[in-house]
Amino acid sequence: MGTSFTSKDHIKRHTALEQGRAAGEPPIKAERVTKEYVGGKVVALDDVSVEIQENQVTALIGPSGCGKTTLLRLISGLEYPTRGSVQVYGQPILGPGPERGMVFQAYTSFPWLNVIKNVEHGMGIQGVPSAERRERAQHFLRLVHLDQFTNSYPVQLSGGMKQRVAIARTLAQDPQLLLLDEPFGALDAQVTWEMEEMIIEIIESESKTVILVTHDIQEAIYLADRIIFFTRQPGKIKADLAMEFKAGKRFPKKEDLLTHPGYVDMEKQLYQMMREEIQGRVS
Amino acid sequence: MPSNNTESSPQMPSGPIETTESQEQAPLYTPPRARFLEVRGSVGKYESALLGLVGVIAFFGIWEIFHYLTPETQRKFLPSVEQVVGEIYVLIVDKGYMADVGKSVYRIYVSFFAACLLAVPLGVLMGSFVKLRALINPTVGGLRYLPAASFVPLLLVYFGPTDFAKLALLFLGCVFFLIALILDNVLAVPKEFVESAQTMGASRRHIVLRVTFPAAAPQILDSMRNMIAVSWTYLVIAEIVAATDGIGAVMMRAARFLHVDIIMAGILTIGILGVLTDISFRIAGRVLFPHMYARR
Repeated sequence: MGTSFTSKDHIKRHTALEQGRAAGEPPIKAERVTKEYVGGKVVALDDVSVEIQENQVTALIGPSGCGKTTLLRLISGLEYPTRGSVQVYGQPILGPGPERGMVFQAYTSFPWLNVIKNVEHGMGIQGVPSAERRERAQHFLRLVHLDQFTNSYPVQLSGGMKQRVAIARTLAQDPQLLLLDEPFGALDAQVTWEMEEMIIEIIESESKTVILVTHDIQEAIYLADRIIFFTRQPGKIKADLAMEFKAGKRFPKKEDLLTHPGYVDMEKQLYQMMREEIQGRVS
Repeated sequence: MPSNNTESSPQMPSGPIETTESQEQAPLYTPPRARFLEVRGSVGKYESALLGLVGVIAFFGIWEIFHYLTPETQRKFLPSVEQVVGEIYVLIVDKGYMADVGKSVYRIYVSFFAACLLAVPLGVLMGSFVKLRALINPTVGGLRYLPAASFVPLLLVYFGPTDFAKLALLFLGCVFFLIALILDNVLAVPKEFVESAQTMGASRRHIVLRVTFPAAAPQILDSMRNMIAVSWTYLVIAEIVAATDGIGAVMMRAARFLHVDIIMAGILTIGILGVLTDISFRIAGRVLFPHMYARR
């Protein structure tokens, strides 16, 4: 669905990004990025360079504290690198922007707004006219199966439903990139599974570039076209794996992936990498 | 590894599952330890109201007992509940007490409204911008420790025995606490609310007014409810000095003639008004923030 922006700054930025996109710039290009915390005592990312491909789902994975969330936050513009640069469609990232929509692990649906007002909120910031806002909000609420709950308040919803609201709200702002920061980390296993299948549905219908941070190996393999594995302190890229065994297929049912040829090998490889990283370390 | 060839689950026995023969419900279960003082026990809505009522009745009962335990000659220093209530009635009918009550209520609300007018924007801004907080918070934090009563001589010099001096005292008594409380309320807003607004492209103005403030608003109202109670406690101090009207002035006049029943009537009046204020703030909360009370 197209969006009609009215805010001048948004139009300007949007145009610049579209030009970069047309010129073949990748959605995200991180060049020699280092991120230090506590005055250099913690090196979350150490000289990391990576390009994210258009219309792909890229999963960032690795042990706790490996810098995967840090990279996502640098991409979102909520934090800045210590060294190096991050670009979105060739434009330097100077802060957060609506073209990079983000879903957080913590519930971020605003408790004082009902479900549909929550979903409209981002569009309101971008100056989408109210009739279009309502229509688009309804579209995305259908997409996340929440169309029966438009007038509910977040306190009345389960954790999974709150994340659905957050996902619908982020999609409704029509981002070119969807940044998912452990979006199901607070949900129980069965709800997580339902949500993962919903994400597959969404990717199929909305064709977005997605960057997913997760610590769940199965989830990464299920959702991603490419998995980037990070080491812990200093945070470097240990492996960059294309999910070729899936042959570009996306599985509406997760159990179909589990029996797909090549899945077990991929899972084993990632588990072994994870073991190498956590070996000899008490968590 | 399980195969994925089963599309349909095995047949379940059809028809409703047999329950017990009779339609009678099982007897109510009594927990082995349903003690009155159960750590973190539960209390029903009506039970809670009943217990509260018992507490109030007990309070007045004990008061009444002490009245009758006092030797007859001294009883005027501890009048009975009905004497105090009767005195309120006499005050209202014969001595224009309602005008005094009205004046006190006016002083509380006007001064408190003024305090909120300063404290809410300041607290929200200090909670939103860390450098503003660093600039202002040490000063406000220090001012909080100054007893309001210590301002009385100063205000008398500045403004004389005017109404403004009393409003100023009530204002000073709560404004610094109010700022500190509202600051805490704003700081308690999850940082992800702000961050998700930022990733939607929100401006600073939008984040402060449309995210941080509404997120903290129910707690801000709660802080206001708690601080207006403190304001009521300052009322008598404000009205002791050179006041001709207000509940405090009535009480001070009565003190000169040892009219303990009038003094107690004043105390009781302030208590009742305080409870009414509290209730009205709670109702305001329900009206303003329906999302806090939405049926789950």
